[in-house]
Amino acid sequence: MLEARLEQANLLKKVVDAIKDLVQDCNFDCNDSGIALQAMDNSHVALVSMMLKSESFSPFRCDRNIALGINLGSLTKVLRCAQNEDILTLKAEDAPDVVNLVFESAETDRISEYDIKLMDIDQEHLGIPETEYAATITMPSAEFQRICRDLSALSESVSIECSKEGVKFNCQGDIGSGSIHLRQHTNVDKPELNVEIDLTEPVSLTFSLKYLVNFCKASGLSNQVKLCLSNEVPLLVEYALASNSYLRFYLAPKIGDEE
Amino acid sequence: MAITRSKPSSKASNNKSEPDTFTPTPAQILPASVSNPPKLFVLPKDTSTEARIVTLNNPANSNPSRYLFCPEKGFYEFTKIAAPKKTPRSWLITSSQSRDGVFKTPDSEECTAQETDKRRTPTTDGETTISDGYITSSPDLFVATPLDILFLILPALSPQSPKQALNEHFLSMEDHLDVLTTASRRLKHLLRDVRLEAMISKRMEAFCDSVDAGDEKMYRLSVKKLLSILVQKAERMIKNGLPVSMEDKFIRPALEVPVMSVKREESRISIVSATVSESTEAQETTATPSSTSSDSQATAASPSLFTPPEISHLLRLRTALTYLFSSYIPAPLHKPLKDLLSSSNSPSFTPLDTHLAHLAKLRAEATVLRSLSDNISRKRGFEDEDEKAAEREEKKLRKEEEDKKRKMETRGAKMLKKVDTSGMKKLSAFFTRVPAKGK
Repeated sequence: MLEARLEQANLLKKVVDAIKDLVQDCNFDCNDSGIALQAMDNSHVALVSMMLKSESFSPFRCDRNIALGINLGSLTKVLRCAQNEDILTLKAEDAPDVVNLVFESAETDRISEYDIKLMDIDQEHLGIPETEYAATITMPSAEFQRICRDLSALSESVSIECSKEGVKFNCQGDIGSGSIHLRQHTNVDKPELNVEIDLTEPVSLTFSLKYLVNFCKASGLSNQVKLCLSNEVPLLVEYALASNSYLRFYLAPKIGDEE
Repeated sequence: MAITRSKPSSKASNNKSEPDTFTPTPAQILPASVSNPPKLFVLPKDTSTEARIVTLNNPANSNPSRYLFCPEKGFYEFTKIAAPKKTPRSWLITSSQSRDGVFKTPDSEECTAQETDKRRTPTTDGETTISDGYITSSPDLFVATPLDILFLILPALSPQSPKQALNEHFLSMEDHLDVLTTASRRLKHLLRDVRLEAMISKRMEAFCDSVDAGDEKMYRLSVKKLLSILVQKAERMIKNGLPVSMEDKFIRPALEVPVMSVKREESRISIVSATVSESTEAQETTATPSSTSSDSQATAASPSLFTPPEISHLLRLRTALTYLFSSYIPAPLHKPLKDLLSSSNSPSFTPLDTHLAHLAKLRAEATVLRSLSDNISRKRGFEDEDEKAAEREEKKLRKEEEDKKRKMETRGAKMLKKVDTSGMKKLSAFFTRVPAKGK
């Protein structure tokens, strides 16, 4: 039996919106520590890992480990029926056929309830070790989104170079080239505008911009985004959520034959 | 909707009330669930204090398996009884004192007592003990059942590969045991106990030829003796009938007599001609085809016509033997045992074989008849045609499904499909695959 009450339906709406283009069907693995999701995109070069800790819910109850196989398209349709400020409750039996979503509006005493049919999804699960990255960049998520959007107008891929001087996003396209330079920056009044660079060795990697633009759909979830890079290792883009929950994206770097 | 909402909530109130009723302090907090919950065992009564759970090689496939060993009573194997996947269950374990006779059943009492004994020692520092009531999420129950020590020694006496002939030499008990202990070191450890050795030598006499060589006894495996022991075991197994699931799977379908009568008048004649050898009862009913009631009688009577009790007994015996072979006897021994079984007379399976052959013939005839009558009623009833139609249908369905999926796809997903991923390795090249969590 699963029962998870989320104070704001908004959170789940945003999460699902951010990942539904990458992943169509996936398992929500529920256990007593929370709700987790891991899925790869169709071409298996990107991976989404979501963890909503039980503390993000009030109350949270999950007696048995259950995997809720949900089509994200269907989930989006149902979540559209919820107002951003609604209280959302997820419910499922121990061996469920459906997942039940209840939206309660605090203002109007309106209660709406939806069931989504579940599916059996056979997906492979990757074990992702905790890695020490050579470079960790923390920046405003809006800034990262702007960089990706601006550069994607010029090119398919961006190279991210991180050195002592700062971080450089650089792209070469048919119509020309562009580059954006960021330096470490501390804003006392508005800490959400800080740019922090934590570097142990310089790195330079190339990534597909279309995927990055896609990851940026999660920008609404958090003011700051964390990019973790090491040479020859997938990039980690992390949006931290309240109470240790997170939404992480991994993207394989482009190696070798660049056109 | 009302149902889905109300059901879980009633369950929730139940669960919450449980610790309250069984523990003296009502405000007790349930401990967090553990990844490796305690397992529930039903162990035999009066085992000696030296009894322990050991890992030995399974006699049939020599995979390591767990057995309970008691130096006085011998070996026990564990049978796991699991709840069906679709209806998950848990165990509520309480001791007899704290329970106040609410759920008192003799069985559960025995196992809970053992469970609490095992658990009491490590949890002394004010934590909740199992005796205060414990809910374990794993619904499995392990029952220890006696295992004939014969099966555990058998691998040592059997030839190593099916090609190798049976060991013709008489060997001393020590030599046989040496073979056994080189395969499993733990057994060597157990064999230090003199009582076990006595048990083994006693059991060896039952299925081995033996000669006295001076002051030592020498043994050689006797397939004949072994077979007679196995037949005895199988007889005992079927004395009270086989379990229902085995009966349903192996006995009933094998003995089913095909229903031969068809409503059509002409076709009935053909049946009678096809099964002339059948009883007079069937012929009588065909002689008076005017009333419909006699018709139905004929159909009802025909299946029960040909299963004499000794045939089903033989089939059960053979099923039981097959089960014993596959789960306890090492593969190299199967062939000599089966050869001996087919040539021996003590349980002779020839009536069963002839009966089964007869049934197979009848079944073949029935299918021929059925396809004949199909032809009459549907004109185009060829099976391949049917198959082709089904295939077409399936293809169409699959295509529709794919189309639907494509339509469901978001714009963003379509865009991502066009991304040039050359030079990008798959993520599985960076991260190791984790096998799906066992559930």
